[in-house]
Amino acid sequence: MPVNLILKPKLHKKYLYRCLQCIPSHFASYDTTRLVLAFFAISGLDLLKDLDSLKKQQKIIDWIYSLQVVDNKELVSGFQGSTTLNTIENRNRSAPYKWCHIAGTYTALCTLLILGDDLNRVNKEAIASSLKVLQLPNGVFCASKDGSESDMRFIYCAACISYIIDDWSGVDIEKATDYILKSLTYEFGFAQAPQLEAHGGSTYCAIASLALMGKLSALSEIQRKNIIRWLLNRQKDGFQGRPNKPVDTCYSFWVGAALKILDVFDFVDFDQNKTYVLSTQDNLYGGLSKWVDTTSDPLHTYMGLSGLSLMKYDELEEVNPLLNISQRAYAHLKSLHMKWRLRL
Amino acid sequence: MSDSSDEEISQQKWVLYKDRPDWKDVEPIPQDDGEEPVVTIAYSKEFTDVYDYFRGILKTQEKSERALQLTKDAANLNPANYTVWQYRRDIIKALKKDLREELEYIRQTIRKHSKNYQVWHHRKVLVEWLNDGSEELEFTKSILETDDKNYHAWQHRQWAMKTFNLYEGELEYVDSLLQTDIRNNSAWNQRYFVVNNTTGFNDAVLSREIDYTLSKINIVKENESAWNYLRGLLLHDKEGLSKNQKVVKFCEDLYNSGNRSAFLLALLVDMCDEEISQGSGDVLLVRQKGIALCKELASNYDTIRCKYWEYMASTLEKKGTETDDTCTSSTGN
Repeated sequence: MPVNLILKPKLHKKYLYRCLQCIPSHFASYDTTRLVLAFFAISGLDLLKDLDSLKKQQKIIDWIYSLQVVDNKELVSGFQGSTTLNTIENRNRSAPYKWCHIAGTYTALCTLLILGDDLNRVNKEAIASSLKVLQLPNGVFCASKDGSESDMRFIYCAACISYIIDDWSGVDIEKATDYILKSLTYEFGFAQAPQLEAHGGSTYCAIASLALMGKLSALSEIQRKNIIRWLLNRQKDGFQGRPNKPVDTCYSFWVGAALKILDVFDFVDFDQNKTYVLSTQDNLYGGLSKWVDTTSDPLHTYMGLSGLSLMKYDELEEVNPLLNISQRAYAHLKSLHMKWRLRL
Repeated sequence: MSDSSDEEISQQKWVLYKDRPDWKDVEPIPQDDGEEPVVTIAYSKEFTDVYDYFRGILKTQEKSERALQLTKDAANLNPANYTVWQYRRDIIKALKKDLREELEYIRQTIRKHSKNYQVWHHRKVLVEWLNDGSEELEFTKSILETDDKNYHAWQHRQWAMKTFNLYEGELEYVDSLLQTDIRNNSAWNQRYFVVNNTTGFNDAVLSREIDYTLSKINIVKENESAWNYLRGLLLHDKEGLSKNQKVVKFCEDLYNSGNRSAFLLALLVDMCDEEISQGSGDVLLVRQKGIALCKELASNYDTIRCKYWEYMASTLEKKGTETDDTCTSSTGN
């Protein structure tokens, strides 16, 4: 294998540490989703088996908890995506527009789990009752109380949140399932919403949500068979998100994980998939990007690593395809569930 | 993620809000990022300034002309800030602003940030408030001219079409897109959307669409989008995938002419599979044919999925046997 096509864990660790510290001003459009970036960096370090050298973990945990909103009156409980609206005055208090964001809650819970937190400070009941407000009558979820679009991504977030807090009272599973099935297209991929174009990202969200809700059986045999075909056809060398679109590193995870959940990941050509993902590595500064010879970014770095990890890579922790965290962090969650259930 | 907004600001000899006399009465409120923040962004001084004042007016809930201008600056610095857009809408509502003007502003903003969720959502809300979708087809068309697979644009377009019943002329539009790029999967999906929501797939439409698709496959055989559309059409054939004589003949002729497109072979495999399930035709022969096709795919024409095609061959093998068993037992009765 050419030297450029060997995974460079050290470089990627450096890259992720840099993301975790400080990012340049032209990343300003990430300002409301810093928590998601923290998740990419910390989960990436976890996959790279380097969490032990991550200093000040308790401080990171505290920072994440500073994003928690508990507001049972406005029903906006959960985690904000960032501290943009936080002030000394409204610290630990509700304030106008200080609302949770569904992706913030999902990535907060995941990152806390990765860091070994026991989620004791998470107000699970408040989260579940606020989640309920975000589901629309047709079953789909919005991201926040007001002013948000709704699509398959947020069903996935809602499913992950409910699974992690082990409380499904915030989700009408039947309605969500119905929405997902209505978003299955004639191509047998899932779209972000009914009648839109099938897409690798929304297909992952749909399949993972069904699995988390225990509803994979809602798919008929024929549907399942055709979905598998559509997913497998996304592989060109790496994976594309839609027919006749260029391949992109992140779909090695989205499509790969969907195949893994459907228990047919072994049909993938591992060599070609690896070769593509590794060809998008930055061999100087670390990180991975969507295409060869483009600039690395945190999302593609993380999805590239988790995509490789699906193929059981020596240097990498195995990733859990449902929650997109390491199996190690997932095992920690299962042990928490056991404790919570015993206490009941 | 572009820094063009920062550039714009510096080019215009930007005056910080804290140095503006008409903002003296507002208390800027710094962000509280805790003692040990992570993923710190090295904000430009303009960014910090604008957002300090944004937090200031958010606290007092000021809804004024100057606050409206501030949200524009805040959105310019970070168009992904959903709170800024939400607050902007709340101001627009409170001041009863001219929504047409806002529509024009968001048109320009979407042109700059056409893959940003928040700006598209803003437009959708405005169109809902105006209850007028008459500009949406032209607008999304202009975005699709620069990226004809932009998911946001298609999503907005479909929403407007459904909400305001704007299906007229859409098939012609889709056709023109396919003439430009026959592989445009978004356009094929839109074709399905239009037919599904207007005439539906009755026999006449089905026949017309099959002709259309086969003619497109004749132009480019190696085009997954067209093959997928064809399969989508056959979902509406009550007889199934393998009984439409026009399609069957087309596929056989193509195969006999020496074409070995993986999409063609895969469809032929599925036709065999269906015939075996239905127990129609000479099962033994169909099974052999299906297995042979799978093997061709695995070893020559779709080698990246060779494990899958080998698996398909083995399921066909088993499936044939099961059918044989059923035949034997029914004979036994």
